[in-house]
Amino acid sequence: MKAKISAMMDGELDAQELGEPLSAMASDREARESWRTYHLISDALRGDAILSTDCALRVSQRLSQEPALIAPLPGPVRAPERPRWFVPSALAASLAAVAFVGWMALAPQRGTVPAVAPVPVAKAPQAQPAAVPPKVAVTSATQDYLFAHQAYSPRNSLQGMAPYVRTVSDETVQKKK
Amino acid sequence: MSRALGAWLLCAFTGVAQAQAQAQVQVQVSPEALEWLRRIYQATEKLSYTGTFVYQQGDRTETSRITRRAGPAGNVEKLEVLDGSPREVLRTRDEVRCYLPDSQTVKVDRRRDQRSFPALLPAQVTTLGENYVISMDETRRIAGYDCQAIVLSPRDELRYGYQLWADVQTGMLLKARAFKSNGETVEQFTFTQLEIGPVPRERVRPRVVARTWRVEQAAVSPANLAQAGWTMSADLPGFRKVIEVTRLLREAQPVGQVVFSDGLAAVSVFIEPLAGRAETPPMGLASMGAVNVYTRQVANHLVTVVGETPAASVQRIGDTVTYRAPQ
Repeated sequence: MKAKISAMMDGELDAQELGEPLSAMASDREARESWRTYHLISDALRGDAILSTDCALRVSQRLSQEPALIAPLPGPVRAPERPRWFVPSALAASLAAVAFVGWMALAPQRGTVPAVAPVPVAKAPQAQPAAVPPKVAVTSATQDYLFAHQAYSPRNSLQGMAPYVRTVSDETVQKKK
Repeated sequence: MSRALGAWLLCAFTGVAQAQAQAQVQVQVSPEALEWLRRIYQATEKLSYTGTFVYQQGDRTETSRITRRAGPAGNVEKLEVLDGSPREVLRTRDEVRCYLPDSQTVKVDRRRDQRSFPALLPAQVTTLGENYVISMDETRRIAGYDCQAIVLSPRDELRYGYQLWADVQTGMLLKARAFKSNGETVEQFTFTQLEIGPVPRERVRPRVVARTWRVEQAAVSPANLAQAGWTMSADLPGFRKVIEVTRLLREAQPVGQVVFSDGLAAVSVFIEPLAGRAETPPMGLASMGAVNVYTRQVANHLVTVVGETPAASVQRIGDTVTYRAPQ
């Protein structure tokens, strides 16, 4: 079953195959644990480990401890007349919510959020360690080489002319005297 | 208690990681993602459009405009740099012209036949899976277009990975990010505004009047460097020789150029005589975004390797270059 759940997480199962792992997760605690563990590992490999450590469990625990202030009453849709205290209390709750949102919005961001999520890449290096040559600056000649090279890059087939921007980049052109 | 838990977690972690690694070997190329690459290719070939894009590399940012006019008489593309001096590059079926106002120069790279522009053909897309793990990624809105992301993760550290975002409707590429095997971005192209649709002919003409400018013709012709005594090898898994030519650079003596490619990234090796040069350029590695340049001296010749690959790869190819006087 664990293999099936892992395969489902990787998006490898088609629609017919999904039923089995899904119903296992609905009934079997261990299957649910595996699902969470796999996500935890996946997140850890990506470097955002905090995201799914028992998140669901902690959220539901906290929710059960919270007093339900403005939860709708179970029962018939046609509710009885509201008691008088309801309106001001709901208003107060709304104001509190607005204040909270405002505080969140004004609070400084913790850490910096990367513009693009890192992509998991896990491959052993095959390059042999070689003598490291000295770092040198880009010269005026670089532009000529780049221009001569660019036409042969298969990336043009996916990106059109965009990569040519390098051949006329400020970095190479300004050094051209 | 907590130690037992830690040990259990470690066991679970390694066990599952192994299972995942095995699963990954089986499913490394998503057919859906391959189909998306073909769609991007076709959109790049067929669409007319004009748009503004930002090129980011390190702490540098440059804004440019790209205009493409597809037509029965041939496609014309123009790239204009919008910051600083108005540099332009024009490409037609068999010619690329680069207009540089600062030096009043036009560089012309002309080919005799279309075949000398190696392209990533739809049929070759499948072989990309040998060097990259190709998968579907998130969807995201870019410049007003709903885009599907496709990821090509490198199978080793000899090439960069690419994250591509394409318009769901047309397949047009809106954003491309090149990244190292640790995920770090090396360069990024992003359209900030794009209009897809017919483009008037005037929009793809050069803006500058270059009649009095110096013209540098590349004069590209086929070559056989092995006959002249030069040997080199790609020496990198997945890289194969694509083309071998001689050309003129800066109107100097003919320069040999050999191009290697893994189907997506390309590396060029340039060989030119050092004799007659006023100064010897510095030897070593230079880098510019995803492009790395490795310069060394072999048998009184200058060997320059230019590639959209990590420094280690251009160096490895460059180090295989040897010369033996032909008998």
